[in-house]
Formats: sequence, C-alpha cells, structure tokens
Amino acid sequence: MQKEVIVIGGGIAGIQASLDLANRGFKVYLVEKSPGIGGRMAQLDKTFPTMDCSICILAPKMIECARHSNVQLLTYSEVKEVKGSLGNFEVNVLRKPRYVDEAKCTGCGICADNCPAEAPNQFDENIGMRKAIYMPFPQAVPRVMVIDKDSCIECGLCDKVCEADAVNRDQQPEEVELNVGAIVVATGFDMFDPAVIPQYGYGRFKNVITAMELERLLCASGPTGGLLIRPSDGRIPRSIAFIQCVGSRDRREWINHPYCSSICCKYAVKDAVLIKEHEPNSRVAIFYIDMRAFGRGFQEFVNRAKSEFGISFIRSNPGELSDDPTTDNLIVWYEDPITRTVQHVSFDLVVLCPTLIPRRGAQELAETLGVELDNYGFFKPADPVKKPLDTTVPGIFACGYCLGPKTGDIPDSIAQGSATAALVAEVLATQEVP
Amino acid sequence: MSSLDADFMHDVANTPRGRGILTCIQCGRCTSSCSVARVVEDHNPRKLMEMIILGLRREVLHGPLPWYCLSCFTCLDRCPQNGDVGETMFAIRNLAVKEGNTPRAIVDQAQNLFGTGRVVVPTRMALIQRERYGMGKEPAVDVEAVQKILRKTSFDKLIYR
Amino acid sequence: MKYAFFLGCLIPAREPNYESSVRKVSSELGIELVEMKGANCCAPFSIQSLDYVTWLALAARNLTLAEEMGLDILTLCNDCYESLLMTNTILKNDKELREKVNGILADLRLEFKGKIDVKGFIDVLYDDVGLEKVKNSIKEPFDGLKAALQPGCHLTKPKRIHFGEWMGIRALDELAEATGAKSIAYERKEACCGGPLRGINDEIASQVAKQKLDSIKGSGADCIVTVCPFCYVELDMGQLEIKRRSKEEYNLPVLHFAELLRMAMGMKLENWEIRTHRVPITKILNMKEAK
Repeated sequence: MQKEVIVIGGGIAGIQASLDLANRGFKVYLVEKSPGIGGRMAQLDKTFPTMDCSICILAPKMIECARHSNVQLLTYSEVKEVKGSLGNFEVNVLRKPRYVDEAKCTGCGICADNCPAEAPNQFDENIGMRKAIYMPFPQAVPRVMVIDKDSCIECGLCDKVCEADAVNRDQQPEEVELNVGAIVVATGFDMFDPAVIPQYGYGRFKNVITAMELERLLCASGPTGGLLIRPSDGRIPRSIAFIQCVGSRDRREWINHPYCSSICCKYAVKDAVLIKEHEPNSRVAIFYIDMRAFGRGFQEFVNRAKSEFGISFIRSNPGELSDDPTTDNLIVWYEDPITRTVQHVSFDLVVLCPTLIPRRGAQELAETLGVELDNYGFFKPADPVKKPLDTTVPGIFACGYCLGPKTGDIPDSIAQGSATAALVAEVLATQEVP
Repeated sequence: MSSLDADFMHDVANTPRGRGILTCIQCGRCTSSCSVARVVEDHNPRKLMEMIILGLRREVLHGPLPWYCLSCFTCLDRCPQNGDVGETMFAIRNLAVKEGNTPRAIVDQAQNLFGTGRVVVPTRMALIQRERYGMGKEPAVDVEAVQKILRKTSFDKLIYR
Repeated sequence: MKYAFFLGCLIPAREPNYESSVRKVSSELGIELVEMKGANCCAPFSIQSLDYVTWLALAARNLTLAEEMGLDILTLCNDCYESLLMTNTILKNDKELREKVNGILADLRLEFKGKIDVKGFIDVLYDDVGLEKVKNSIKEPFDGLKAALQPGCHLTKPKRIHFGEWMGIRALDELAEATGAKSIAYERKEACCGGPLRGINDEIASQVAKQKLDSIKGSGADCIVTVCPFCYVELDMGQLEIKRRSKEEYNLPVLHFAELLRMAMGMKLENWEIRTHRVPITKILNMKEAK
C-alpha cells in the first residue's frame, strides 16, 4: 500500500484536500494543468455573501501548498496514464515544458516587460493581452514564468534580459512515474459558451459579456485594474442587466443542461452589489426565473441587495436582446411581471450567467482513470446518496464542482476537499475502501 | 369572474399537443419573444399558460384568446422546458372548437376543404394564367378521398353545425 | 433528382408566377418535378387548429401518394413544408398514432409506411443540387442587390424537426449571395410576417407585418426576397394594406426566391409575371438592365 496521493486539479477543492492530507503526514502530488494553482477562485474579485477578497483568502492556502514539505506541486502537467488499483496506482504524469527553469526563475517579470509578442490573456477570459512569456496572474504559485510557444516569435530577448539565466528554450516534456495509494479528482468547471443561444447576441453584440468576464473586469488585478468599462468604447456603463439561466434549466435537445447550476443566482447578486459599490449611481437589474439563494446568509444578502443597494430584481426571463448600432447599447425584451406587457429597456452592458459545465479535458481524464461520467460529463459518484465523493473506481475520489452542480460554492468545495482527504486517509490507513 | 376548474389543466394535458402545460415554469421567455404580444396586450402566451394552470376554463376557451397566435414557433424554439407553449396553443384551439368557438375565416377554409379538397379557392385570373403560360389546367384534387377522410374523423360535424 | 411535386393550395390559387419561376429554374438545374395526382390540401395550421387526427390523416394521404411514387416530396410553401414534415416525423416515430391514421387511410386503400422524406425548395437547392452547381448556373448575376431575405417561420422552426434554425437561414443567405445579391442583416430576421392571421384578424396581421417591414426598412435593403407564398402575399399586398390604413409607404418590392434565382440564371421575367407583383418591381428590373 503506497502512502502517497495524487490530487488532480489545483483549485480550492484540490488545494484543501492536498493540505489536509499533507498535514496528516501523507505525501501529496498536486497536479495542475495550467501553469499555476488557484483555479476559478483566483479569478474572482470577491466571494459571496461575506464579500471577502477572493485571492486574499486563497493565496495563503496556495503558498502553504507551495511550502509544505509534504506537497509537491506539479504544475503545467497532466495525468496521461493510470494503471493498477486501490493502494497501488501507477500514474504517468506528463510535465509540459515551460521553457523556463523552475528552480532558477525568481518571477521578477523583466522578461515579460521586454517581450514583443502578445496573445489573448486566458486568465482574464481573453479580455486584454499578455506576453508570450508570462506569469499566469500576479499572485501565481509557483512564481515562475512560462513561455507559450504558439505565440512566441523566438526573438530571444527574454533570454538576454533574464538575470537568473532561467530561460531554457530547449526544455523537453518530462514524464514522471508516480506510485500512489489513492487519487483525488478536483478539476472544477468551465462556462458554457452562450454563443450557442444566438438570441442573446454573445459574440455579435460587443457589450454582452459573461459573468466570468465581468469578474475579471471588476478585479483589481484584472485587465482594467478594477475599472468597470464596457468592451465597445471603454465607457463606464451606467446601466447593467444580468440575465440568469443562460443554458441552465434548459431541456432543449441541442442544449441539454436541464440542471440548475446552483451558484449563478448567488454570484449574480454578488456581482450586482459589487457594481453598485463601484458605481453607486448605476442602474442594475437582474432578470431571473427563480431566485435561488438558499443556505446561510444568502437570502439576507439578496434582501440587502434590494433594500440597501437598490438593485432591481425582475422575475422574467428575456427572450432576446437587440442592439442599437449607434450606441452599442443593448435592448432587453422582457415581459414586465407587473403590467404583464412586453417591454423593452436599454442597457449599457448585459451580463449573461451561463450554465456551468465540466472542464474541457474531463472526458479524456475520465477515460484515463477508467471512471464513469454522468450524462452531462460530470464525474459520477459510486452512490449519489451514500458515497457522494467516491468515483466508480475504488481508490479514486472526487471533490468540488467536477462532481456536478451541488451547492457548489466555495465553503462547500472546501468542505468536500476536507471530506475527501479524510476518506483517502482512511483508505490508506486501513488499506480498504471505506 | 367564473369559478376555477381544477380539471382544466389536465384536460389540456390530455389533449394532443397539450402535454407541455404540465411542465411550464412561467419564465416568460415565450411572451418576450412573441411577435403578437408586442402588438396586442391581450395576447400573452405565458399568461395563457397561467390561466390554464389556474383553471380559468371559460376565459381561455371562449373569446378571442386562442386565436391570436401565428403558430410561428418562436416561443416553441426558445422554451427551456422543451418547447411546448406553441404546441399547447393548438390543444387549446382544438378544445375551443369543440365548444363552438371558431373564427369565421377558419370555418370558411374548412368548408372549402370539404367541398373542393383545398382551403383556398383559386381566382379566375390565376387559372387563366396557369393555362395560358404553360402550367396546365388546375391540378385536380381527389375530393372524394378528402371527404371520406373528413367524414371518418367527424370533421364535418365540427364545421357544419 | 426527381421529386414528387407538392404544390399546395395557395400557389395554384393565387401565385402562378411563383410556380412558373420554379419550373424554369428546376428544368435548368436538372430537378425533375413529377405531378402528384389528386394530392389534397396539406392541412395548414388553420386545419390543425380544428382537429389533430384530421390533420394527420390529410397530410398522411399526401405522404402515401409520394410513397407510392417512390419519391421524396418537394414543396414550395413553408406551411405545407411544416405540415407534411411534422406529420412525417410524428407518424414515423409514434406507432399508436400511425396505426390510428392508417386505420382511416385504409378506406382509401392507402397505408403510411414512412419511406420518404419531405424537402423544401431551399433544402433541395442547397443539399441536393449543391451550392457549386447553383453558382455555375448563374449567367447574369445581380450586382450587389441589397436583399432582405425572409426565410419564413417554417423554413427553420421548430428547430427540433428542421436541420437547425440558424443553419437554415445561412443556407438561404448563401444561395442568395450566389445570385450576386447581398443578404442584408436586419433585426428579427426569423420573425413572422403576420400571414397566418390574414383573414382571421387583419388588424393584427397588418401590425405584425408592419413590425417586419419597419425592421427591413431600417436596414437599408432594396427589396425583400421570400421563400413562402404566404410571406409573399403578406409582405407584398400587405404593404398596400398598411398604406391604406396608416398611409405609410415602404416601396419595398417583394420577389420570390425562385424569381431572384431565375433572373440571375439569365431568364427574364415575362410581363404577366411582372404585373402580379403588387408593389412594382421596376427598380429591380432597371438595376438588372443597367448592367
């Protein structure tokens, strides 16, 4: 029985699971596909309902992972092959080349300052650009640059200016063979592409954005330094509409997300309050079908949003948006719930709250692990009631949103991360499946 | 204000094309997409579904409400519960017709159908143009076959009262 | 490419010019149109509103006639397309209804077997003839004529039985652009023309048509091109109706898609066909002549 564990996915759930296991004395390999850990929580500005700064809560945990003697971070890496079974998994992890030596790089950023090549900034949801050699985000852990070969023009400037001689353009992919007793999956979620629903104009109308894009615009470390400006003209929007359930609760065959994503009502209210804090004189409206603010503190938060912040909650799902080509404003068509007539109102900016779907790559990972997925591509629990954190393969567990929409918010992901760690610890101690 | 009919929703659900009433979540997407709702205040698909759910049988089946719909299916394509507002409209009409509420124009079309096998009677000009410009005489309809079908389904009883 | 040609009621009754252009275009492109002897009305939405089973039986009779001919149906009218396609889909998948309808058709010694498909003219041009062949047949392309295309509701809706709302509209755009016309984007392209209410509630039909015409006018288009004969009447004669009610004029000539294609293929419209257009199409003809 191996006493080591692999955690796949460096978001909050994976980080929590890793820390709990490491603190118990188990060696943890935290494998993360992107160049830095942090996941979705690192992209958020504030969390609901306490309005804490997201990265402020997350960063200490990220740093603890980096420093913990029992945690080894394998970032920019993917699990490629898994053999064996509970107690003895043989895992092959592929470490993609950063072209930067992790041991030497100090993260000073001089290379990026001098780099002439650019590409869309994925962390910022493709708003704004980053250089070909880049730090994923300012608080990234590990604090190491990475070169994206697709946008790199091979000018060699980064190498010239680096004082630590950390650039290594000949770096090769590295295969690491690990022998572990258990595996934890914590790969999280992606957002459904709202362009699939043409009536909302995402991709056609410039000022229609997703909630994640809004988070990056509101975030102080984001592409605009936290200044909420709209894409078409850089003006500060004075009127903002949120449209809930874009793709969620939708049984149409070509959409097929009949579930409720469970956190969008909450984050929409949070974002609406944030916007009002940035721009107190703006007009903010949330168009919803049901306002699902269950759990501790959320209904109270909604009440505050209405009474203290003057946010309009309109119980009507808009059928379509049209645009005003002279101003790039959006016109929202909806049925007014009080007069019961069709109205149209102009907004400077529209934020769509799309369905949350499994991370891209979850399917391949499931095949590699040999675990089952449900019809929507989320990791399927061995028993949805009695064993919600076990996958269909003994010894492989899962936590967080990769299991699908549960209550799904940050405290829940943390709780599940800890719970999974406890299960893994039990397995490794008793050498049996709990 | 008539009394509410608790069976109405189930009657609609059991009429062909009416199953959608059972899953309506009253989101309002249909009404905000509807071309007629923008023009006629009385026509409001979501409200019609609400009236069925509440059991307002008389208000729904009698009067003009069922007959504003264009059956353009915009609502059907956008409904998150898989589209049955547009379909339910047909169920309502079938029920309304059974209770004698049918617009004159549709009765005329139906009577044309019974008499000639077509809903629209050709104009003389059109017939002349067809023959003159190489498309031949008016294509003949097998009226007897049509009448056999219409008698078998008791359609004639619906339109000749 | 041989099809059972389903004309429907409206085209022989009112729009022989549409049929005439379709026949000419088909003959040039190698589409063979075989008459469906004795075909009856498809049972459009007005009949569907009266009784469900009657609709299915009437539509099914036409489907069985085509089955006996061993040919797919080609239809020109969106309402016929919707009625026949829906019936075909329903009866192919629902055993109980199929048996019920066949029980009615048995008196006519007909049986629905579900062996053929129903296609619209645009489907045939795009899928069966193919964009390349259509492009190669164009001899006198339009010089960027700004056309607001009206696909009509039932070309693409309901999406679950058609091949896709936006795809269908894209096919129409590409075919129109093949003729040299430019497909102008306008608001609510997929919206209804108001035609189905004509005769039942003219006031509302006009107002819905007005919404459509307003958005087309705002887009700067020179003309409207329709696929469905109902849209054609509603937007062509409908403009005169609106002028009568509210004095508003649009001066937007309306062409059948088949006429657009025919002219681009080098076949001029004859005088009788030109005269059937209520809103004069002279400016389009002049544009073509000027080239």
